[in-house]
Amino acid sequence: MMRGMLGVFQELDSTVEAIEELKKEKIGDLTVYTPTPRHELEHAVHPPRSKVRLFTLIGGLAGVMFGYWIAIWASEYWPLVVGGKAISTWVPYTIFGFEVMVMVGALSTVFGMFYLQGIPRLTMTVGYDERFSNGSYGVWCECAPEKLALAEAILKRHGAVEVRGES
Amino acid sequence: MATLAHPAGGDTPRRPNFASADIQLPAVRDYEQVNEEITAVLRPTKAWFLGLFVAIGALGLGVGSWAYQIHQGLGVAGYSPPVMWGVYIISFVFWVGIGHAGTLISAILYLFRAGFRTTIYRAAEAMTVFAVMTAGLFPIIHIGRPWKFFWLIPYPNWRLIWPNFKSPLVWDVFAITTYLTISATFLFVGLIPDIAVLRDREKNPLRKQILALLSFGWRNSEREWRHFARAYLFLAAFSTPLVLSVHSVVSFDFAMAVVPGWHTTIFAPYFVAGAIFSGFAMVWTIVIPMRKWFGVKHYVTLNHLDASAKMVLFTSLVVGCAYLVEFFIAWYGGVAYEQEYFWNRVFGQWWWAAWIMLTCNMILPLSLFSQKLRRNPTWLFILSLFINLGMWFERFVIVVPSLSHDVNPWQWSGYTVTWVDMGILIGSFGWFFMWFLLFVKQLPIIAITEIKEIIPPKLKHAPAAHATGGH
Repeated sequence: MMRGMLGVFQELDSTVEAIEELKKEKIGDLTVYTPTPRHELEHAVHPPRSKVRLFTLIGGLAGVMFGYWIAIWASEYWPLVVGGKAISTWVPYTIFGFEVMVMVGALSTVFGMFYLQGIPRLTMTVGYDERFSNGSYGVWCECAPEKLALAEAILKRHGAVEVRGES
Repeated sequence: MATLAHPAGGDTPRRPNFASADIQLPAVRDYEQVNEEITAVLRPTKAWFLGLFVAIGALGLGVGSWAYQIHQGLGVAGYSPPVMWGVYIISFVFWVGIGHAGTLISAILYLFRAGFRTTIYRAAEAMTVFAVMTAGLFPIIHIGRPWKFFWLIPYPNWRLIWPNFKSPLVWDVFAITTYLTISATFLFVGLIPDIAVLRDREKNPLRKQILALLSFGWRNSEREWRHFARAYLFLAAFSTPLVLSVHSVVSFDFAMAVVPGWHTTIFAPYFVAGAIFSGFAMVWTIVIPMRKWFGVKHYVTLNHLDASAKMVLFTSLVVGCAYLVEFFIAWYGGVAYEQEYFWNRVFGQWWWAAWIMLTCNMILPLSLFSQKLRRNPTWLFILSLFINLGMWFERFVIVVPSLSHDVNPWQWSGYTVTWVDMGILIGSFGWFFMWFLLFVKQLPIIAITEIKEIIPPKLKHAPAAHATGGH
């Protein structure tokens, strides 16, 4: 069964116009492809804000706590008096807190990015064309079978160089 | 993510403003051209094979020298009490410094929207990862029994012994490990969309499969780009203080010791400025031949080199100021040991090393006040070699004269570099360039998707003023 309609565009403004009309007609879910990030497309799609920041915050807090904890715990467990300083000295241990915060925070940011993007993706699934990493823009409209014709008409009207249905 | 301070338009500025860095690529027309030209760089040439052969030969010399040292013991390395830090620690600091420009260019210049970074940041990031990989070898070589290096890592063990967390050497382990991890992550994350470009152009099924795995199935969807942009911003925000912290921590290896010439509060900013200075010089050493041999002069333009030359000039002035402040503090502080040490450094036993340092790092970079020289790639390349030399000698001047001329005159001594030291030093350059040369022929050395951000997109209607430039 046909799942949706894919339009391949050469021009940025044509793509934006097609997205706007497809959204206005409420035909189905849209996936927009672009060789490079463009604000024009972001404005047309009007997506929610990325939640990557939550992963950054949680990872950073976990990292800073672990960094201080490992230094303090190990010092108390294996007490070495150096230079007459206290066993647990928070000033130099800030280095561990900071470094581990950066490491865990950055890695959890990347994990969050992958999770929210839905990658790694083992198959390319439907609705993708290799031209999207070259110079073309794409709009994949996943919709009910009775709306496929309308989606095709909109994509063609706005100058898609190729429109094809995929199942 | 490419950085462009404000929308492009009009002619290419001949004198780009460093802060806004509104730098254009007038010879690049469209996205297809970017894909074609940058992926064309990946085809191996005879010169590349020759370079790789030389690098592997140098690495072989280093491996042989190290094997000899392991067999014979550290005595073959030129150490003579009290100079028990030598070429290995000098080279460690040198390579960590080289590794600083990459993250500076990727992260700090990204946050400051300095557009000239766009065409050079991938080379600088790769350079950073390979330089830190090189630096990490030296403490392991220096300890003499490399199989014991894991004792520095805090982990539960049967010996029930933990590292001394108040030691700068353990701070180093954490700082360098974090820096290597984050630099490599930053490099790889930025590469994912470009690997997808290679994947979609690849005809060989096996290579296509490998590239599909490496690209994690990236499809260039708006959703992917949105989270990518946000994550990239946070990685840059994390990396910015990290750049400053790493060489500060390396400087603490010296500054925490009560040794003349070392025990000073100026060391952290002095080391960071020196690291950025030397890192940019190595970027020139790599990028200037690359732009000629790979035919990418219209990507890495004279405007980019001009802007980076201003950065080098600025950091040279900071480093030069730090040199002079060191002398001033020794004189003004009135501590006899410090005064004696600094006199010996410049006019005594180590005068030749100190003057190489001062000439290469302070005097020659002043030529960059001339715009004509800033826009002369041949001069910039020659200057970069002098700066690399000068910055290695800066670390020599910090390490050896202090240890050989400390507070006890009865133990003042000299230091002689042996062939084992030199073999391992040459081997480190071989190791570094081997990885770099392998990288440039496997993955794009110029960021394809970021270049596309600064190329005007194709439009059906007449281009509006806002339609050029991605950011």
